[in-house]
Formats: sequence, C-alpha cells, structure tokens
Amino acid sequence: MRSASGAKGQPAPHRGAGTRRMLTWAKEALLPPVAVFILVVGLWEWGTHLFEVPVYVVPPPSRIWESLLFDGTAIFTHAGITFFEAFAGFVIGSALGIILGTAFAYSRFLARGLMPYVIAANTIPVVAIAPIIIIWFGHGIISKIAVTAFLSFFPLALNMMKGLQSYDRTVMDVFHVSAASGWQKFVKMRLPTSLPYVFVGLKLNVTFSVIGAIIAEFVQADRGLGFMIMTAYRTLNMPRLWAAMLVSALIGILFFGIIALIERLAIPWHSSMRSNQKP
Amino acid sequence: MTGSAEAKVRISDVDVIYPGALGASAVHALDGIDLAVRDGEFVSLIGPSGCGKSTLLRVLSDLAKPTEGSVVVAGDDPRRARLKRKVGFVFQDAALLEWRRILTNVALPLEIEGVPRGKRLARAQELIDLVGLSGFERQYPNQLSGGMRQRAAIARAMSTKPEVLLMDEPFGALDQITRDRLNLELLNLTQKNRMTVLFVTHSIREAVLLSDRVVVMTARPGRISEIIEVDLPRPRTLEVRETAAFAALANRGVHLLEMGSKT
Ligand SMILES: Nc1ncnc2c1ncn2[C@@H]1O[C@H](COP(=O)(O)OP(=O)(O)O)[C@@H](O)[C@H]1O
Ligand SMILES: [Mg+2]
Repeated sequence: MRSASGAKGQPAPHRGAGTRRMLTWAKEALLPPVAVFILVVGLWEWGTHLFEVPVYVVPPPSRIWESLLFDGTAIFTHAGITFFEAFAGFVIGSALGIILGTAFAYSRFLARGLMPYVIAANTIPVVAIAPIIIIWFGHGIISKIAVTAFLSFFPLALNMMKGLQSYDRTVMDVFHVSAASGWQKFVKMRLPTSLPYVFVGLKLNVTFSVIGAIIAEFVQADRGLGFMIMTAYRTLNMPRLWAAMLVSALIGILFFGIIALIERLAIPWHSSMRSNQKP
Repeated sequence: MTGSAEAKVRISDVDVIYPGALGASAVHALDGIDLAVRDGEFVSLIGPSGCGKSTLLRVLSDLAKPTEGSVVVAGDDPRRARLKRKVGFVFQDAALLEWRRILTNVALPLEIEGVPRGKRLARAQELIDLVGLSGFERQYPNQLSGGMRQRAAIARAMSTKPEVLLMDEPFGALDQITRDRLNLELLNLTQKNRMTVLFVTHSIREAVLLSDRVVVMTARPGRISEIIEVDLPRPRTLEVRETAAFAALANRGVHLLEMGSKT
C-alpha cells in the first residue's frame, strides 16, 4: 500500500524516502571530497617516493600517519589544551562582543565614541599584541585565552550591532502600534533578527580563535599545539610538525561543525539555512 | 449623524511638516486636514502618491506627531489610544515574523499585551478562521502566498479588538483576483463586526466598493479636495460594481483625481 502513495508522484515522507535521501546526500556531498582525499594522498605518497623528496621538505603521508600513531597521546593532549584555550577565549570574547555590540546598537553616543578605537584595536596584528598580553596575564593558559578572546571580540561586536539594527521598519511599527515595551521589542524582534548576523561573527571567530591560541603558544608556552609545532620545527621533526598541523586543522573543522550545528537548530527559519539550494 | 460627540476619529486642522534633512527643503505633508469619522464608518483615502495618506494614518496611530492641530482617536489622544490598544494597523507589507508560525504571529499583539497563552491562542485561532486561514496556523510565513500573508496581518491587527482599524494599501501588492476575494471578505468582516476603518488605496473602484465615504486628496501640500458620499445599499457584494450607481461614483472619483493631478 505504501508504494501506492509514492506512485502519485508526491514525495511522500516515508522512511524509505528518508533513507534514499540520505543515500543521495552521501553520494552527492560526501563522495567527491572523499575521492579527492584518496587521490591526493595517493599521489602525494607516490610522488614523494618517486622523486625522492627529502622528508624535511615534504614527508610522505605514511610518515605523518606513523608519527600520529607513535605520538598520538602527546599530540592529542596538546591538541586538547589548544582546543580548550581557543574555546574558552571564543566564549569570553564573543560574550563581551555581544554585550558591547548591543550597547553600540542602542547608544549612538557609545557607538560614535568607541567604534574608532575598537576598529583601531582590531587592526593591531595578533603577533604584536600577543607578547604584551602574555606579559600581563602570565605564562599559563590564561594569557592564551586572553589573546583568543581579544581576537574574538571584534567580529561579534560588529555583527551584533549590525544584526540588531537590521530589523524591518514595518515590523518595528507593528510592535509600536501594539504598545510593546523596549524590552519586548528587543527580545521578540531585534534579538531573533540579529541571530543570522551573530552566527556570521561566531563562524569567523572559530577560525580566529584557533589561530590566536596557536600564535600565543608560539610566543611563549610549554604545552599546546603551537608549542609542539615550535619544538618539532627546532628539532626538524617534520612528520611530527605536519601531524600537529593537520590536527590543528581538525580542531578548526570540529569547532566549526559544532557552531554550524547550533546555527541549524537555532535559526531554522533563516533562508541561508534552507538546504534546497544545490551547492 | 453630524453630532460631534459620536465621532470615533476626529482630526482638527492638522498640519504635518517634515523638516528637510541636510539642505533639502521641508515637506508640507499635510495641510489643514479636517475630518470626522463616525463610529462604524468605513472611510477610504485616495490621492496621488505623496499626498500624505500614510502620514495621516501614522498620525492617528502615534507613529508620527502632528506639527499643528489636534487628533482624537476613540476618545483619547493618539498616544493614549495606542497604549490602550484601541488602534489596529495593517501595512502594505504583511510584516510577519519569519521565525514564528502563523498562529503565534496572529497572537503577537495579545502576547505583548500579556494575555495568558491559552486565551490568546484561542483568540488567534478564531481570527484565523475568520480571515479564512484555517489549516495554515502551523505554517511559517514564507510557506504562504502574498494574499495569505496579508490575511494573517489583518487577523493580527484585529486580535486586540481595536476600535479603529487603519489599513495602508493593504492589497496594493496583490494580483487582481486575490484582491477581489480579499475585498469581498473585508466587506463581510466589516459588515458583521462593527469596526471603524480608515483605508488607503490607489484604486477608486476598491474605495467605492468598500466605503461609506471616499476622501479625495491632493498633493504638495496634502489637502482634502473632496469627499464622496457612497450611498450604495449594504450589505454589498462584488456585483454592486456592475450597477450604474457604482459606475457614476467611480467616474466622479476618477474625475476628481485627474483634476487634482493637473494642478
Ligand atoms: N519620515 C519622513 N521624513 C521626511 N519626509 C517624509 C517622511 N515620510 C513621508 N515624507 C514625505 O511626506 C510626503 C507624504 O508622504 P506619505 O504620507 O507617505 O504619502 P502617501 O502615503 O500619500 O504616498 C511625501 O512627499 C514624502 O516624501
Ligand atoms: Mg503611502
């Protein structure tokens, strides 16, 4: 009987259809990157052997993999520390950005008065500010979190302000005619409208915060991926360096995936979330 | 009928002047507007764009302040009337919240008012049935057509049982067939529920069909040039548009609009 409703040409929401959609998705979205991965790794392995590329220039994938297996615990312990620094700084910096962005959206005076300095602060290269922050906050994890928070702050302040200002004028009129309080306008309209912008900022921050944590570790650290990369570089342990680099990319992807998932759950109505556009 | 005490809306000698921004000259949007609208009356405003129709509705709903003159809406000044939720407004754009279902969109003004959830959703459901959206209450706005979105906006504006309903070109963006259908339903709605309505439109035929009076305005500065009494019997249906009396009124409106645009 099930096939009868399917035969009408209606995409019936049956389990069979869902599974089929999963399979098409796997085929269309998953297959190309996996194929490319296999091809690239294969060529890379084959090429390094064929042209006898020195390991310190480009190690073959098998050597990197060995290093990952051999050093696994160490690499993932360091990666865990870096991830924690990046995540904590991300949360603190984003939260501060949200607060200041909200203040900017509601106070012209604050926005006009502070914005030039916030922009100026944002143009400082992180490699220049990191040593200063480390002097202030010490050699431990706190200073790495502070550097990351510093980087995460600006994208959120800016996007939060833009998001809160991007409401529809007519919708605002509807709230006004309905005698809504300022708080009701904020919670029921301006905040939901700002969410897509907030997520743009959060996604930027994912990348920035991993970079920030690693750079801060370059400057001064006795643990973390940045520290590991630096020591591997000094001892010319290139497979280890490459392994650490790949794991740092993995952290970024994982982190980004978490935020993208939260975005999907938080703002399913937003048009960029509707997945019926082909890539 | 002319007793001033029973006027639901009274506009006395109202001027609105928008100060020109940065070098631009000031705009005299409304000049000496006098108008009294009776309780339960349906009044249309028609005129070239820029003659101040929207501005007039915005003054009545406390979205804009008159530069001169006074306004009484349901016995209060516009601000009090708004805070007491005596005014409903339907805009040309439905302006629904995209992240809410139709049911909670319609219930929004009641939610803002603080009406308990069960009660406000029941009322919203009633209104949804009234405007012919039954079955769509669980949908999101982007799943609905323009006409349906506008129905939801009308239901939302009526949710607080306003004494005065303001409608600014509510059907302006709809195709003719949808527009006809919504005209018919608005006729039925206003004939069944006693409501005082001020309705802005660009269509003289729509104005004559729906109204007790049609106010014809001219631009620069915005003034009332003429008021047409529409004495067609009620209840009306769309067929009234085929009568000679309707044609005569519509022609008169067209003529007045043309005269206004020549000066
Ligand atoms: N907020 C505003 N600031 C300055 N000028 C305005 C504003 N709103 C409307 N106007 C001007 O006032 C005049 C009347 O506008 P409006 O009431 O929107 O006319 P209508 O609705 O009849 O087209 C127009 O010339 C318009 O440009
Ligand atoms: Mg207008």
